[in-house]
Amino acid sequence: MVRLPYTTALTTLFSYGLLFAFGQLRDFFRKFVDWFKAKNVKGYAPICLGLEDFYVRRLYLRIQDCFGRPIASAPDSWFDVVERISNDNNKTLQRTSHTTRCLNLGSYNYLGFAAADEYCTPRAIESLKKYSASTCSVRVDGGTTKLHAELEELVARFVGKPAAILFGMGYVTNSAIIPCLIGKGGLIISDSLNHNSIVNGARGSGATVRVFQHNSPAHLEEVLREQIAGGQPRTHRPWKKIIVIVEGIYSMEGELCKLPEIIAVCKKYKAYTYLDEAHSIGAVGQSGRGVCELLGVDPADVDIMMGTFTKSFGSCGGYIAASKDIIQHLKHTCPAHLYATSMSPPAVQQVISAIKVILGEDGSNRGAQKLARIRENSNFFRSELKKMGFEVLGDNDSPVMPIMLYNPAKIPAFSRECLRQKVAVVTVAFPATPLLLARARICISASHTKEDLVTALDVISRVGDLVGIKYFPAEPPKIAEVGHNKLE
Amino acid sequence: MGRRGKQPYYVEAAPPVDVNKNTEWFMYPGVWTTYILLLFFAWLLVLSVSGCSPGAAWTVVNLAHFAITYHFFHWKKGTPFAADDQGIYSRLTWWEQIDNGQQLTRNRKFLTVVPVVLYLIASHLTDYKQPMFFLNTVAVFVLVVAKLPNMHKVRIFGINADI
Repeated sequence: MVRLPYTTALTTLFSYGLLFAFGQLRDFFRKFVDWFKAKNVKGYAPICLGLEDFYVRRLYLRIQDCFGRPIASAPDSWFDVVERISNDNNKTLQRTSHTTRCLNLGSYNYLGFAAADEYCTPRAIESLKKYSASTCSVRVDGGTTKLHAELEELVARFVGKPAAILFGMGYVTNSAIIPCLIGKGGLIISDSLNHNSIVNGARGSGATVRVFQHNSPAHLEEVLREQIAGGQPRTHRPWKKIIVIVEGIYSMEGELCKLPEIIAVCKKYKAYTYLDEAHSIGAVGQSGRGVCELLGVDPADVDIMMGTFTKSFGSCGGYIAASKDIIQHLKHTCPAHLYATSMSPPAVQQVISAIKVILGEDGSNRGAQKLARIRENSNFFRSELKKMGFEVLGDNDSPVMPIMLYNPAKIPAFSRECLRQKVAVVTVAFPATPLLLARARICISASHTKEDLVTALDVISRVGDLVGIKYFPAEPPKIAEVGHNKLE
Repeated sequence: MGRRGKQPYYVEAAPPVDVNKNTEWFMYPGVWTTYILLLFFAWLLVLSVSGCSPGAAWTVVNLAHFAITYHFFHWKKGTPFAADDQGIYSRLTWWEQIDNGQQLTRNRKFLTVVPVVLYLIASHLTDYKQPMFFLNTVAVFVLVVAKLPNMHKVRIFGINADI
């Protein structure tokens, strides 16, 4: 639920209308120009029909220098961004050999493990020397090393479930697991703002997919009642099974899921629950165990818990943690386990070391320090941004904070001006977000120092004034108030 | 607290439950107003550029509105990002996609009323004289028939049927 000034809604719709009109006009003339060009592909079907890639060609490419910026160093709190130039108005970009040192507000580096760490990196290098960069095999053939077995047990222990299974890619974890758990005749009820990997997996499973209003246990109950009463489409037979899929922290909103209420609803109607903790595992909770710990939900109440290692653990890959039976079933049926190459051993070692640091099993309290720091940093940054008058989404304690931009022209304006002032932010537009609600998404890290955050706030405030995104009245600074009181 | 300058009027935008990204933008606040304002400013533009009578300007706006909305609502099929949604809407026009294919929703009723109102304004201000009257009538007839619930997924004589 976002609040925006009515005039902003009108101008945003008008801007998109204008962009759309110009894009259509250019397509129209392009059709004429291409008619006269000789074509030697007669008889072949076109790869893309005209309307299909309209958005990419006419809107995305205009501002493509704001997306996909290459970096030339580890994604620590400060990193090197490669400069790019374009000679044909952003249709193609060429990398230069110059780099700029920028403050990193875009990487999912929640606990600061993305850069060299005193405990993790030596162990990762050692495992690279011992096990080499790739297992060169699938898990069921020769790709299971001691590290993989150790990590599966460690993840299960960390999350609070009996068993776990690993995958080499976070996106694949969702899109390859869901078809193994449910098929035709089943029902998937997923939150309307779920990630594309879940949507993909749900579509690929062949089950019927219904969507419920974002984070609304009341609407979930309504949808469940309607679907259970109606049964399967056309035959009205009872559903084979029902899985409700939610996320821990929604990556585009920074909001926490209303997990206790949703679990209560699912238990009432005997539906299975699938929790995607990609952004919350390791980043929230007293000891980093994710939203279950933060919201006081027993992990035994959630049937399947999914997470990724890319965000808080500085590695790559994903996991599923569930009961021993489910994991055993997945190990025999999931194609991502049977036919995909297993995780790279140094990446596995990185996760093992990161989890040990978080749990404090490395002999120091750096894990607890990191967790406290990310909580403080997030809350400080969010409250300061709100005081300046920005529309910031997300709950307290969540390290993801989107700043609303709305107008399509403000996306490249904000992005480019921040880069000029040496702050790298990630801006997100349609279709990853709804059309009207373009935003700049900030990811706070435990490796950001207070000075980094103050620099970032300074730059964002100045750029915000220039671009005009302070939609709410700013609170007056403390000094002025004190002076006021003194006069009285 | 003193009011320094006017406070803007805020609206709330709840994320709609529509999964089709091609049509969910139509559920946000301000869409109807933007549509009406666009038509009004188009009329002003036509008047200021050509200097014709108000009735003729409304006729021009009505016919342009007919051409544009017919092309984009009832002719073009699919979505601008068929790769992302696997082309499940590639046989449906935008009109057939909105509100998830539900008929007689508020959005659909509004969009059906707009051509009729335009027709009434244009006909009244041109005193029902030919040839404007005939052109306006054709425009409103085609648009309203295309929006009727009975025409959902109907392709007359196979016009605009799938490739």
